[in-house]
Amino acid sequence: MSVKVEQIDACRWRIPREGAMRTEGLVFADRQMMAMLQKEQALEQVRNVATLPGIVGPSIAMPDIHWGYGFPIGGVAAFDVEEGVVSPGGVGYDINCGVRLLRSNLTVEEVRPRIELLADALFRNVPSGVGSRRRDLKLSSAETRKVLIRGARWAVDNGYGSAEDLEHIEERGTIAGADPEVVSARALERGRDQLGTLGSGNHFLEIDLVEEIGDQQVANVLGLFPGQITISIHTGSRGLGYQICDDHLRMMQQAARKYAIELPDRQLCCAPLASPEAKQYLAAMAGAANFAFANRQLITAWVRESFERVLGKGPAELRISSIYDVCHNIAKMETHLYQGQKRRLCVHRKGATRAFPPGHPDTPELYRSVGQPVLIPGDMGRYSYVLVGTQGAFEETFGSTCHGAGRVLSRHAAKKLARGRQIEAELAARGIVLRASSRATVAEEISESYKDVLDVVSVVQQAGIGKIVARLRPLAVVKG
Amino acid sequence: MTNCFRLLEHIADMGIAAEGESLAELFRQAAFGLCRIVTVSVDIQPKTELRVEIRAQDREELLINWLNELIFLLESRHFLPATFEFDSLTDQQLNARVRGEAIDPTRHALEREIKAVTYHQIVVEQTAAGWRAQVYVDL
Repeated sequence: MSVKVEQIDACRWRIPREGAMRTEGLVFADRQMMAMLQKEQALEQVRNVATLPGIVGPSIAMPDIHWGYGFPIGGVAAFDVEEGVVSPGGVGYDINCGVRLLRSNLTVEEVRPRIELLADALFRNVPSGVGSRRRDLKLSSAETRKVLIRGARWAVDNGYGSAEDLEHIEERGTIAGADPEVVSARALERGRDQLGTLGSGNHFLEIDLVEEIGDQQVANVLGLFPGQITISIHTGSRGLGYQICDDHLRMMQQAARKYAIELPDRQLCCAPLASPEAKQYLAAMAGAANFAFANRQLITAWVRESFERVLGKGPAELRISSIYDVCHNIAKMETHLYQGQKRRLCVHRKGATRAFPPGHPDTPELYRSVGQPVLIPGDMGRYSYVLVGTQGAFEETFGSTCHGAGRVLSRHAAKKLARGRQIEAELAARGIVLRASSRATVAEEISESYKDVLDVVSVVQQAGIGKIVARLRPLAVVKG
Repeated sequence: MTNCFRLLEHIADMGIAAEGESLAELFRQAAFGLCRIVTVSVDIQPKTELRVEIRAQDREELLINWLNELIFLLESRHFLPATFEFDSLTDQQLNARVRGEAIDPTRHALEREIKAVTYHQIVVEQTAAGWRAQVYVDL
């Protein structure tokens, strides 16, 4: 059954408040996207989120939205800290799945002759694929607990990178308030040998080329130039995060009953933010988020090592450094201005990215004049985008924007479309080297599976909730 | 009724629809469906037996917890299940013997990593001919 929507303008749609909804829905999409959305369940999920207690502002959907579990992927919702709830389904199983973008001093001319060797080195040095684990970095329970508390800082303190890296990670790579004591033994066991691994599915490691600059002034501040080599890392909290989410969904089922919260969908189970259940979840979630920050920091170290070995250049010459590292799946306690009043809110971003504006104190000092960098990966065959956050996002979407391209084909449909094709050869013909652990994953991740990310970022730019800075083109892709 | 499973399409993930003459058969078929999502390999030998005990608030949660336990065995114990026998199975608890073997990369091609089994549109219900279930997994 299609959900009733009203068009506001070329890129905004309203889902009117009705029935059990406490607020309206706000969907960022163009006409074509909306036509597709009416055929699946995502809009119903936007409507369901609007029924949760203490929601402030609309239930928001980004242009890369598709249906997920409880919250849609591409969903944003903010809740009052006194009256509102936290929902693990509003964060997702892969807590702090996110992207880090690294810049370098290298140009495409220097790297292209050795791109196959670089791809091989990355594939070898960063375990990927189903059940990827490291044999060289098996942490004790005690050490894993330190990772949960300290995040990327743990990695830097153990020789993986420098303090400078931490300045260019959301929350400086450590979310405060993590408590390993509320993380189950099972979650710790699942994560123990997975730190420093990519995982599978849509996770990737990419060597990219800065193909086009959209805003030269902002690009200069971010340290981007045409023909430059950048590296993207997309992964999250691995089995540790998945287990923490699962553990707390079970707890929240009971909490929803205890606090008499009516749920249109079991996956939206939640607890009042002031409750012990909510505090426990947020403390565990912070631990998982920190694990993911540490994961991307470790992978950064092995990326640097791989480039140094293959190219025979030292760190000072390569200057591989973090432009920024953003979370896609997280709940953050933030202060926002809503209807003229400062409000302390729990902002859920599930398949959505924080996009703070110029001048915001949480925007790193280096970028404070232009806005927080936002990294929007596309698919492995086309392009990705670098954006910066805007005042428009801060005012309209609690400082949030999209996170990627969003799927349009099921895995089954993608595999059918890929049958009989040589995907690796197709990519090679476009100048893209592929290294993958699973042929099935490659088939399921073909470009046709995804929206054109240009359409997504175009809606974002048109709506004023992000500003395009540069387009990146993949040269090498490592997939699990 | 035929004891069976089939995989369901989802925009980003996959689902399992299972049918069984009994609740135990239903849970067995759902487990086969889970394994099928992970691997197409049929050469999985029942060399080792693991005992599994699961508790839950209701039948739906029991199914989710059962399948999540198999994911844990796959991911953290690197164990591929082949057969499932239930010593007891009620709406809120089960005791099972799972036979299988350690994952052998030379024989077992693992296609997908399952993060968890979700509550999304979960169904576990009795029908005129037996039992049916529907469950989605996050990939």
